[in-house]
Amino acid sequence: MTIAALVDQALDESVGLSTDECLKCNICNTVCPVARVDDRFPGPKYVGPQAQRFRLAAPVPVNLDGRRVHSPDVTVDWCSGCGWCTTACPAGVKIAEVNSRARASIRAGRRPRLRDWMIGQTDLLGRLGAPFAPLANWAFRNRPIRALIELTIGIHRKAPLPVYAGRPFRSRFRRRGGRVGRPGEPVLPPPDRAVVYFHGCAANYYEPHVADAAIAVLERNGFEVIAPPQVCCGLPLISNGLYGQARGQARQNLDVLAEYARQGYRIVGTSTSCTHTLKAEYDEMLDLHDEDARVVAEATWDICEFLVDLHEQGRLDTRFGRLDEDLPYHAPCQLRSHGIGLPAMDLFELVPGLRAVDMDHDCCGIAGTYGLKREKYEIAMRVGADLFRKIEASGATETACDSETCRWQIASATGTTVRHPVEILAAAYAAGDRAATAH
Amino acid sequence: MATADVAIIGAGLAGLATAVRLAEHGARVVVLAQGNGAIHWAGGPIDVAVAPGVDTPAAAVGRLASNPAHPYAVLADDVPHALGWFGSLVAEGDLPHAGSPGDPFRALPTGIGGTRPVAIVPNGQAAILRPWDPGERLVVVGPAGFKDFWPLAIAASLRRPSVWGGLDRPERVEGVSVELPGLAARRNLNALRIADLFDDPAWRRPALEAIARAVDATGSGPLRVGLPAVVGCRDHGAALRGALEVVDRPIVELPLVPPGIPGIRLYGLLRDALRARGGRLLLGEPVVRVETDGRRVLSVATSAAARSYVIRVGSLVLATGGIAGGGLVGDPDGRIVETVLGLPAEGPPIDRWMTGDPLDPGSMPIALAGVRTDGELRPVDPADPGAGPVFDNVRVVGGLLAGQRSLAERCGDGIALASAWRAAASIATGGGGAVGTAAAVPAPGGSR
Repeated sequence: MTIAALVDQALDESVGLSTDECLKCNICNTVCPVARVDDRFPGPKYVGPQAQRFRLAAPVPVNLDGRRVHSPDVTVDWCSGCGWCTTACPAGVKIAEVNSRARASIRAGRRPRLRDWMIGQTDLLGRLGAPFAPLANWAFRNRPIRALIELTIGIHRKAPLPVYAGRPFRSRFRRRGGRVGRPGEPVLPPPDRAVVYFHGCAANYYEPHVADAAIAVLERNGFEVIAPPQVCCGLPLISNGLYGQARGQARQNLDVLAEYARQGYRIVGTSTSCTHTLKAEYDEMLDLHDEDARVVAEATWDICEFLVDLHEQGRLDTRFGRLDEDLPYHAPCQLRSHGIGLPAMDLFELVPGLRAVDMDHDCCGIAGTYGLKREKYEIAMRVGADLFRKIEASGATETACDSETCRWQIASATGTTVRHPVEILAAAYAAGDRAATAH
Repeated sequence: MATADVAIIGAGLAGLATAVRLAEHGARVVVLAQGNGAIHWAGGPIDVAVAPGVDTPAAAVGRLASNPAHPYAVLADDVPHALGWFGSLVAEGDLPHAGSPGDPFRALPTGIGGTRPVAIVPNGQAAILRPWDPGERLVVVGPAGFKDFWPLAIAASLRRPSVWGGLDRPERVEGVSVELPGLAARRNLNALRIADLFDDPAWRRPALEAIARAVDATGSGPLRVGLPAVVGCRDHGAALRGALEVVDRPIVELPLVPPGIPGIRLYGLLRDALRARGGRLLLGEPVVRVETDGRRVLSVATSAAARSYVIRVGSLVLATGGIAGGGLVGDPDGRIVETVLGLPAEGPPIDRWMTGDPLDPGSMPIALAGVRTDGELRPVDPADPGAGPVFDNVRVVGGLLAGQRSLAERCGDGIALASAWRAAASIATGGGGAVGTAAAVPAPGGSR
């Protein structure tokens, strides 16, 4: 075996082998939001480090009759993948990552369940639905149709499905002359005056207003925005154990993004889930350890992280106008996995009058696609219940949150309008401009 | 990159108490931790000190402080202030504690049928602080099916006088197992799940009535009820009041094997107190790099996805614990090194790390390993302690301080709180730290 192969193998096993550090201290079980509300999930310690010993002992586990079994503990499927166990572990065990891989190994070699396959295809769903937005939106809000979808496909009738925006962001961006990074484009501005925007599926198909706000804020700070061709980051596929297809999509993204990253452009995203996938999951989950994956990971920034960094360099335009409002803020699980603190809260402090309050709640429950599923919807609602109560008790009409599926979950559960932090900043700039004009 | 007046590394009792206290002084603080600390295993009592032949924690502190190498030699005078402050803080958070360091030790029974000497305990254990009356019984009641608490076995063990360590004990101990509503159908229950149930007033009432009936069935006469320490978690105050009302007897919560619900309650209280004072707690962020100019720490970088997260700091507090907490490592050559800054640490030679019975906490000289400090808790080189602090703006608190044997001396909580108190005062009065440095950039702390 070559040294390179040994290094590769060690990298591949770094997640699984981290379970050797487990002290069996139970801290992960005390922070797990799912175990908190449902006995069917015994907790991360049992399906993670404890079951992992058996998985490591036999990569293709067999039972006593010599028949192949897919996992020593199939209850791992109740794990929502929120990642709190990994965050809380004092010993550095990558529990959530172990669970995700175990889920993939349960699914490996089997035809995926239609529902799980389908909700992984966010790009396809976006492309199919966008031209028929009014019809699709009507159907998704029609109770008999939703009941039928629940029965046939298994997506819960009350699950917070997004609303199609009609013409996708990319198409509008191209039409208004935005840079879409195709061959033959005019000369690009230098990397300190332009960023690559990874909009992801949500801003493209459902929330183009988030993309608009991001572009307004970036342009305001002197950055041109390039939106090169891109596909879904692959996280919904990873969450549903469909690693093979996720790798294919990752490759498509890396091919385009790596070129920009090598030229020194930073890749900025408005979805903390997509940016975390680019930063960490291509490596940790999909075992993509090559140069392309590395340069893209290092060049990727969550937009709030990017803006805080600009501020540190004294480059952020801080002429925010007054926003006199209470703003509950929920930090998504994926943001926590970035390990970058709470950049949205740092930015909110710069806005006069804005009273942002971190709700300090573990998880809203949705965990990407988890809470959409018929059998998991109730769990997701119970996981987020305290958060919803706190937001309702605050009396605020707006809430802020960095991740799209969390926004849809919180909006559906609380009836408040849930905004991406960059929308709040764009509104604060607009307020500042209005005040300046009035003078 | 962000900025903080003070970054505290470690989210155990020492780190969180330092952070809360500093935030009260007006500092912008951020707590960075690899994960949750041992506070999640804590059983409730605040261990200040024990020593052979003395009968109060205060006297034990005095005894330990007479050894110039012990942290109490520096911190003994801070203990009453720190405990007084802690007492107000927990009372404010509806988790009042009873007892004081001048009170005599009492034996608190535990969920494995042992006891531990205590003098300061949360209200759920306060009933143990009163002497046992003649004829008074301890009735240990446990939910049937709860695998971490076996009342009959616990009672059998507690009937052995030797278990009580020479301290006052009840004349009789009985164990009763009781079916609580809905639990028969639930397996894999851990302590936290049962504590969550006790938080629910609708579940709590019939459960407590079942416990009351089981206690009454053991006969009349004076008694105290020993329950597993699961009487509520997030709403423990209300759960305990409900239990005292319905059961109508003195209740003692017995500490359990991990997870430790009393510790989780305290953690939640400290976390809320920190946030209310504008501080921030970031978990899952182990420190991977520290930038210094040789005399001062300038910034810390924590592990983040694809890069590191850099925070510029005025002062740094190390609350990373000792060998068990990960604040120290020993290498195969017998060197003991502090893990964040690579500070020189002191400790016994490698052939004396363990002696005698490895299960006897008194026999492990390696526990003495740690970082030596000056009176302001700034780290010094143990080989040349007179040369002054290694870093001017660093403080060391809690289990990382050299010279303590926290298992044998049961001094961990007292040292954590006293050193937190001292470090916060030292930084706030400008002893090398820089609270209130112009923060022209967003600092952790949330909106205030």
